[in-house]
Amino acid sequence: MNAKATRVPDNGLPPGAVMAARGLCVSFAGRQILSGVDLDVAGNALTVIVGRSGSGKTTLLRALNRLNECFDGCRTTGRVLLSLDGRAVDVHDRDFPVTELRRRVGMVFQTPNLLPLSVAANLTMPLRHVLGMGKAEALEAAREALVAARLWDEVKDRLEAPAKTLSGGQAQRLCLARAMALEPDVLLVDEPAASLDFMAARAIEDLLSGLRERYALVVVSHGLGSAARMADHLVVMRRGQVSARFAAAELARGEALMQCMEEVF
Amino acid sequence: MTARSRGARAAPGRGLEYAARAAAWGCALAVTLPVAFLVGYLVYEAGPALGGDLFFGDVPALAAILGQRPVWNGIWPACAGTLALVALTSAMAVPLGVAGGISLSLFARGRLRRLLRLGVDVLAGIPSILMGLFGFALILFLRRAFLPQANTCLLLAAVSMALLILPYVVGATAGALDALPDAMRLLGPSLGLSTWRTVAGVLVPEARRGILGGIILAVGRACEDTAVILMTGVVVGAGLPSGLFGKFEALPFYIYYTSAQYQTPDELNRVYGAALVLLCLAVGLFLCARAGSRLVEGRYGMTEAMR
Repeated sequence: MNAKATRVPDNGLPPGAVMAARGLCVSFAGRQILSGVDLDVAGNALTVIVGRSGSGKTTLLRALNRLNECFDGCRTTGRVLLSLDGRAVDVHDRDFPVTELRRRVGMVFQTPNLLPLSVAANLTMPLRHVLGMGKAEALEAAREALVAARLWDEVKDRLEAPAKTLSGGQAQRLCLARAMALEPDVLLVDEPAASLDFMAARAIEDLLSGLRERYALVVVSHGLGSAARMADHLVVMRRGQVSARFAAAELARGEALMQCMEEVF
Repeated sequence: MTARSRGARAAPGRGLEYAARAAAWGCALAVTLPVAFLVGYLVYEAGPALGGDLFFGDVPALAAILGQRPVWNGIWPACAGTLALVALTSAMAVPLGVAGGISLSLFARGRLRRLLRLGVDVLAGIPSILMGLFGFALILFLRRAFLPQANTCLLLAAVSMALLILPYVVGATAGALDALPDAMRLLGPSLGLSTWRTVAGVLVPEARRGILGGIILAVGRACEDTAVILMTGVVVGAGLPSGLFGKFEALPFYIYYTSAQYQTPDELNRVYGAALVLLCLAVGLFLCARAGSRLVEGRYGMTEAMR
């Protein structure tokens, strides 16, 4: 077990990481949610964050793409570094536009969060406005993303139907496709299977496992079983701090998983 | 406890349920019946006056509508005046009110936000006669200060009326946006959309029902309010509105004035006729707004059946 994140020079990312948090503290209206979190997000790997409700998992995810700032009374200190064409930038840097950060660090929410538009427009609207694509180009990119999210066959005949007519599992895959279409470097996924039945949850889990070839993924999960199946790196959160880290090889051995269960429950 | 005694215990609850159901039906009827009675009474009284004469008097309809000949004994000029007033008022109050609601809900913070909310609440509480006085005082001020030829007119009435209905639109917009779930607020930013895109493409479309509700209420108010226009430009016998700076007639004022001054039963019937027309106008505007909202629903990929 490696209880500390790799020490790095002040301005660099650890080898293999595309994103890292150092000494991250977040409070809302004076209430401390995260205190001194260090996290490395490895490229082409799936990092799973587990922990009890209220341990700060979702806040940590949102701190990585500065979404916490959309709420009143949020205060963030510490550093979040993102690899940008080989060099590390602090995401809080004034010269680094927050819209570009959020494009590069995409997010999928716990419950399917759809735009009040058609299935196709849910993907093309952000593409056109964020990446400045033309209509035809955006539709092609949307198709590719839907194929990658294994949703194309189910929705190809109803692209113009309202997105709200999709089932829960389909809607969540649509959200995933929408995030992927924007060509992010990192994908943050917050308990994607929380509101789904077993089969739909398993489908999402399989999908995420396959996506690590293309992105760095950070997935918050409630289920230790699925976390152990998916994770390349497992991070355990407790009371706003990282209490343990495990690598996939360690998880394969039973005692690490037992220790993890003790940490979490 | 036996099944029987449990059943006996449940019985009073069921009685209460029946009573509540009866009370609910009673309340629904108590609201609907007076409306039905009112409309029936209006139609009954207006009956003798209804027809082309009510609108155009003895002038041919086409000539009256095109303004080729003035109408002295019909309500057509008042209808046109009310329509012009409502259109002008809405053109000012709706964009300003929606924008105000957006800034109040999404951008104002802390003390400024509380201050602005207080301002909107106070504005909503101002009686319409005061708003009329405000318009009148404005003209007096303009005449003394730098526009000696300024006079009460359609534009002034519309400005005062817009001020009157502004808080409805601001309040409804801010309320509808406040009610959106946090996840919806985060959606736009999480996709890298700009603030403007998030507001115009995600949040306002999501809150459209509440916003439209407020607009419909506000427009209805602009249709019927008499006190504001009384002091700011409405006169009897002005004819069709001649422009922004001319006097005008309006239906509520016609009703108010004629019901106080009528001399023959026939004239009173015409008042009822005008009231019925005003009601139809308000309902017509309401239906237009509904149709408009349907159009928006279609644009945003939602229909009634799918909600």
